[in-house]
Amino acid sequence: MKKVLSLLLAVLMILSLAACGGSTEKSKTVADEPKTDVSKGQEDTKETLAEKSGKITIWAWDPNFNIAIMNYAKELYTKDNPNVEIEVVDIAKGDLEQKLHTNLASGVIDGLPEITLIEDYNAQKYLQSYPGSFTDLTGKINHNDFAEYKVSLMTLDGKVYGVPFDSGVAGFFYRSDYLEQAGYKHEDLVNITWDDFIEIGKNVKQKTGKAMLAFDLNDGGLMRIMMQSAGKWYFDDNGNINIANNDVIKEAVKTYKAIADSGIIKQTSGWDEWVAAFNAGDSASVITGVWIIGSIKAEESQSGKWKVAPIPRLNISGSVNASNLGGSSWYVIEKTKGKDLAIDFLNTIYGGNNEFYQKILVDQGAVGTYKPAQSGASYASEDAFFGGQKVYTDFSEWMKSIPAINYGLYTYEADSAIFTVMPEVYSGSISIDEALKKAEEQLKNQIN
Amino acid sequence: MTGATSSRSFVKSNNLYGWLFISIAVILLAVFLLYPIVYSLYLSTTSSKGIVQNFVGLKNYIRLVKDPMFLLALKNTFTLFIIQVPIMLLLALILASLLNDKTIKFRGIFRTGIFLPAVTSLVAYTILFKMMFALDGFINTALMNLHIIKEPIPWLLDPVWAKITIMIALTWRWTGYNMVFYLSALQNIPDEIYEASEIDGASKVQQFFHITIPILKPLIVFTSIMSTIGTLQLFDEPMNLAQAGVTSATTGPGNSLLTLSVYIYNLCFKYMPDFGYAATVSYVIVFIVAILTVIQFKVAGDKS
Repeated sequence: MKKVLSLLLAVLMILSLAACGGSTEKSKTVADEPKTDVSKGQEDTKETLAEKSGKITIWAWDPNFNIAIMNYAKELYTKDNPNVEIEVVDIAKGDLEQKLHTNLASGVIDGLPEITLIEDYNAQKYLQSYPGSFTDLTGKINHNDFAEYKVSLMTLDGKVYGVPFDSGVAGFFYRSDYLEQAGYKHEDLVNITWDDFIEIGKNVKQKTGKAMLAFDLNDGGLMRIMMQSAGKWYFDDNGNINIANNDVIKEAVKTYKAIADSGIIKQTSGWDEWVAAFNAGDSASVITGVWIIGSIKAEESQSGKWKVAPIPRLNISGSVNASNLGGSSWYVIEKTKGKDLAIDFLNTIYGGNNEFYQKILVDQGAVGTYKPAQSGASYASEDAFFGGQKVYTDFSEWMKSIPAINYGLYTYEADSAIFTVMPEVYSGSISIDEALKKAEEQLKNQIN
Repeated sequence: MTGATSSRSFVKSNNLYGWLFISIAVILLAVFLLYPIVYSLYLSTTSSKGIVQNFVGLKNYIRLVKDPMFLLALKNTFTLFIIQVPIMLLLALILASLLNDKTIKFRGIFRTGIFLPAVTSLVAYTILFKMMFALDGFINTALMNLHIIKEPIPWLLDPVWAKITIMIALTWRWTGYNMVFYLSALQNIPDEIYEASEIDGASKVQQFFHITIPILKPLIVFTSIMSTIGTLQLFDEPMNLAQAGVTSATTGPGNSLLTLSVYIYNLCFKYMPDFGYAATVSYVIVFIVAILTVIQFKVAGDKS
């Protein structure tokens, strides 16, 4: 009996091994095919435009925004180049970064896409951690056509590595119906400070019963908006930690505490709860990057009830009513099969197609950083969702006054250090000065 | 004489076949288990920025002692481990001995009900808990409607409450799993022992402490070791409860849910990718697990 069993097992193992071998062979032949196509495609690039062929794989996150936009870009490009196959892969941001890190660290490029999306805060980290992995696009893309602050984020040692995409220009989105009920007009909300904002919030809360802001007290987004509005960051221009003696961060932390104490917020935890809060009409305003428009508009029943004002500024000299949160750019991975085709694709659509930028602005609310597009018709259009306000003209205007800063390499480490001490600041168990000193110590030990 | 040599060659060829057969397993083990262990030990002596790697010797281990974020993760993990594991195991013991009572009706249904959480996906249950424990979620609404609390409890918004929430979640998920071990052992305890003690006048509580627990001791040690390892490797729950993967500044309010495994993840994928330092942290987990296991064996007094 035992013999029979062991024999059976052995046969099974051999069979399964054979099956494995078979399948790898199959997948190999499939993988081989595009290779020949691409090498053909590269030759063709030099000859005629119409005969480009090959395959480009693109990684990005957010199906309502980046993916939808990339799919439209794909549609435009493949219309002129029918032999080009473009695959847009939707991966959650965290997973995408994880895949990118593991693949780049392994040094094997088979699993990597030709084009990937990288968040601006992370750009320098990738460029410096994986030298030689990203294609130098200096001279291949006309970077003069893009906003300078954006280009400087992807420049390392004088070389520019990416194609700038969306701006994270920040806005103070508010529910005009709630604020009118509390007695405020648009003019009352322009050029205000955070202190004014809190006062307005108290009135709104009293008169409408609604929270002024849906807000996660453990989220660093607003902190980054406040810091950049004053042109400062966790680090100075040389990359040294600048927290304990940084007046801007001190003021920002003070403002966070004031907001927490004022009782004007609806506390949320994580992205989903936050979006749900303003979609349900529980909060009178949202202060964040322009990319949130898609999520705000997702609640169609609130059409006509929203408006946008410039963000409040910090009560400190040098702070302006304009800032940035997030934003990302496209990068081409060196040595991938369809690299040249990918560059051509990005150059044709993102680096030269004005119509494309007009369409994604209207459809997805994507404010590109491609300067020639900003004089286009869509930027001047009135948006019915925002009560006929020319929101994009406003955003383009604010974008010009965003102070340019170097985010350095350790934004997320610094975020983590600050927000580890924030609960103690909220409860009042330590002073702001002590908290910042503690955060700086923590960060110093962590990133030495 | 000839018989002896032939038997020796038989042994020899037998040995050869033996080695041949286990060679597959040995090679696979070497490639997929031994090599990563040795390589990660080497990795832990380097400091890296992605693929830019420097040999630093033992500096990573020194850095570890001074790294406040690591110490915080260690503290968080131990807080969870010291409070949650005993509560869970005690609960599992009590439930197991209750459900072992033959007089209880619908025992099968109760047993299945309590074990069912153990088959749910970690991510799925954590996300459900996150929704239930939101500020205006099911738990707060229910408690307020029952007039048990006046203000909603900031389950996931306050460092202390966040820890309590994750402990509740972990207990829900793993109690049934541990209970099944105890239950299977209890079923092997002959009824005669209980009957005899009953005749001697022992109460149910005395039976529990003087019969059930001593007999279950090996299993209690086993489950506590398994739970220790599980807690030290805790990842899915804090990651999803805090939605810490993407842009959030901390894992839970004030990094209160930052566990060692989440810290390793952050070091690799969220922060400047330092795989060397991450390997160091993972080696420390191995050492801690080894030490704790030895302590648990000693405390249990198992001399064999």
